[in-house]
Amino acid sequence: MEKEMLHEHEILVIGGGLSGLRASVEALRGGKDVAVLSKVHPLRSHSVAAQGGINAALGNTPDRGEDHWEDHAFDTVKGSDYLADQDAVDILCKKAPEAVIELEHMGTVFSRFDNGKIAQRPFGGAGFPRTCYAADRTGHNLLHTLYEQSISGKIKFYDEYFVTSLIKENGTCVGCTALDVREGTLHAFSGNVILATGGFGRIYNRSTNALINTGDGAFLAYDVGAALEDMEFIQFHPTTLYGSNILITEGARGEGAHLKNSEGERFMKDYAPDAMELAPRDIVARAIITEVNEGRGIEDEYVHLDLTHLGEEKIKERLPGIRQIAMDFAGVDPVKEPIPVQPGQHYSMGGIFVDKDCETDVPGLYAAGECSCVSVHGANRLGGNSLLETVVFGKTAGKKASEEVKDKEVNESIFMDSVEKDRELIDSIVGKKDGILYSEILKELRETMFQHFGVFREGDMMKEGLDKIKRLKEKFEDVYVGSDDKKFNQALIRTLELRNMLLISEIVAIGAIEREESRGSHYRTDFTERVDEKYLKHTVVRKGEEAPELEYSSVNLDRFEVKEREY
Amino acid sequence: MKLKIFRYDGEESHYDEFEVPHEPGQTVLDALFYIQENLDDSLSFRYSCRGAVCGSCAMLINKVPRLACRTQVKTLVEGEDSAEIKHYPALDKGDEIPERAVLVEPLPHLPVEKDLIVDQDKFFEYYRDVEPMLKTEGEAPQKEYEMSPKEVNELEEYTNCILCAACFGACPVDGENEDYRGPAALAKLYRFHIDPRDNEDRLELADHEDGWWACEFHTNCQKVCPKNVPPNIAIGKARSQLQKEDE
Ligand SMILES: Cc1cc2nc3c(=O)[nH]c(=O)nc-3n(C[C@H](O)[C@H](O)[C@H](O)COP(=O)(O)OP(=O)(O)OC[C@H]3O[C@@H](n4cnc5c(N)ncnc54)[C@H](O)[C@@H]3O)c2cc1C
Ligand code: SF4
Ligand code: FES
Repeated sequence: MEKEMLHEHEILVIGGGLSGLRASVEALRGGKDVAVLSKVHPLRSHSVAAQGGINAALGNTPDRGEDHWEDHAFDTVKGSDYLADQDAVDILCKKAPEAVIELEHMGTVFSRFDNGKIAQRPFGGAGFPRTCYAADRTGHNLLHTLYEQSISGKIKFYDEYFVTSLIKENGTCVGCTALDVREGTLHAFSGNVILATGGFGRIYNRSTNALINTGDGAFLAYDVGAALEDMEFIQFHPTTLYGSNILITEGARGEGAHLKNSEGERFMKDYAPDAMELAPRDIVARAIITEVNEGRGIEDEYVHLDLTHLGEEKIKERLPGIRQIAMDFAGVDPVKEPIPVQPGQHYSMGGIFVDKDCETDVPGLYAAGECSCVSVHGANRLGGNSLLETVVFGKTAGKKASEEVKDKEVNESIFMDSVEKDRELIDSIVGKKDGILYSEILKELRETMFQHFGVFREGDMMKEGLDKIKRLKEKFEDVYVGSDDKKFNQALIRTLELRNMLLISEIVAIGAIEREESRGSHYRTDFTERVDEKYLKHTVVRKGEEAPELEYSSVNLDRFEVKEREY
Repeated sequence: MKLKIFRYDGEESHYDEFEVPHEPGQTVLDALFYIQENLDDSLSFRYSCRGAVCGSCAMLINKVPRLACRTQVKTLVEGEDSAEIKHYPALDKGDEIPERAVLVEPLPHLPVEKDLIVDQDKFFEYYRDVEPMLKTEGEAPQKEYEMSPKEVNELEEYTNCILCAACFGACPVDGENEDYRGPAALAKLYRFHIDPRDNEDRLELADHEDGWWACEFHTNCQKVCPKNVPPNIAIGKARSQLQKEDE
């Protein structure tokens, strides 16, 4: 390895979304030498797509009185079907107001009430209008603000670097290797590592996620021995645009949109008579699939989200982005016609196990945001809580990783070995003359995941699914990339992503099969009840000698009593 | 559906033609993926959100800079494309649009790296030059700075920019003057100028011949912008304010 291929920093942040940028800004404030590696330009990160908003008990809504962080915490814990760790939820909700105010001070243009205060809208599963928003482009506004903050300091950005592995020395994580996608060269990086790589939604064929959400971080962490937690809990968003599965924010229902079946009926009255359209996501998603399965869908595929009664003015003012999406991607103007919607994968509640300080169980390795599981979402995330998680815990990760920076010699040979290993892997894929294309395996994997590990799950069906995943893993042995271009070899990148996705899918499958109950987003037709005695526990999976090893760990239940979840 | 695509491997360039089966609602980005996954895995293009929010996929499609993920193949092939912009020299460079087909080329005015991928470093350098970060004075309030919904509406016109660079590739002035900061950077600067929380004298930063004064009001920027940002209006307002200050 040439010397210039080794880059020494104190903090390596992998990921340039909200979590990664918030962590970087914090580490910079701590006076550290920070580098951000991201496989796409930071502003292209998935965070940019978040629409609806970010939760904080500001109590800004006129005539609604005060809101309290404890109420926010209760809604979060109840929404999680009691699987969230209540001590972590405390931190999330207590810090929420200051986190939002900080973002506003950094420059985010939040929507306002007439009195000049940050506007808040009601969101599913929340007992108070608590979701702060910037029209329906909240993620865009927050990400641009944090990027503005991060380029004003001395952070080194490695844009379009795809991280291929983490490097360990004596049990401690000391850095990573990455492929410079532009040039096709491998590089090594030293420093404490913060993973902020986002979710893994793209293991499903119907997903609201960006195409780049392939779970790389979870793979990287698992591969060096870190635990993955609650991976079977996958949130399906009830309203994604039929066809492209682009998200139609819950904010639309918050503003009063109705869900209707082919008979024009507001069918939510049969599933959640009080909350109606604003019941939590898992309940609404199951209701829609049931309607379609029982023949009350439209074209047997979708239902209608009707905004027409809200009127042109309100739609244009509050939901301009949604209107544009419906027009651009479905040719429907919501002012005049209902939007065709169906459920799609939306959020990964599980992820890399971390404690309240964002430490994984590998020293020197930290994680925050959607790739991690500090467990504030448990079995089901409430809308508006994950943007909050990215900034609250991104900050924590940046702080903690900085505090633990140690002066030490960089052992070059370890870094060289790691680069060599990755080079061999890449050569073995690109050098082959024929075999199976990644695209073939990927398509099958995504279909398998939606069919076998979707909104409704069942034991035998899932076991069949797991077998399919294992067969696809075998097929992957013969994968090859036709193009040997060095520059922007995207087929190679997508093949490496597929490797990661195959493993993640297997772990989702194992967790889902073992959990013989229904809880939050994990709904089994063969075990429809929640079973607290046995499964009020986190699923923890680690790399074993041969296969992944599964165990259960306890849930922190300090604050609220465990109850039935009714809406 | 026929797509004719510009190819470049760092040394030589040419065009390739591909036949892609039609799907309802198919976007140009979908078609590019079809090619990459089934016909030629060496084809390179940037992508991420596929929902017109991340700004990755701006390219020249049938001689108009626009987002591949937001452009329907069918409207182009059937000749229903309503996009119209003022003609400029960069559009004469490549091949002509074939009959009933889609011509896909990289965004003009930035160096091509590979196929449909351009080097955006200059675009982002000009963005950084306008110091795009809020600068406030005095101690921040405990709570939020208050702002009226009207002030927010005005700001939103500009904060909506996704930095896709479509306007940079569409601006005739950027084609002639390498140092022109371009519509997006100037719109960003204006956004901070009108932010009631910001205390810096912002207009000065681009008060030179490669800034506000370079614009010739061709208005291609506003026409191609996928987010309806009006950089030309920002530039016009900034100029008249500077002129007033001079008087
Ligand atoms: C359509 C949509 C709307 C949403 N709306 C809301 C909302 O209104 N409110 C809310 O609270 N939540 C919302 N969410 C969820 C929320 O947006 C995400 O959970 C959050 O943005 C995740 O941020 P992150 O920083 O953890 O990851 P991301 O923003 O996904 O960033 C991941 C980063 O990691 C990098 N990366 C990944 N792998 C690698 C690798 N191998 N090498 C190098 N870099 C890598 C990527 O380049 C990227 O920069 C929404 C989600 C979706 C899908
Ligand atoms: S102003 Fe419009 S066209 Fe220009 S970069 Fe911003 S979003 Fe793109
Ligand atoms: S892929 Fe994000 S804007 Fe087109």
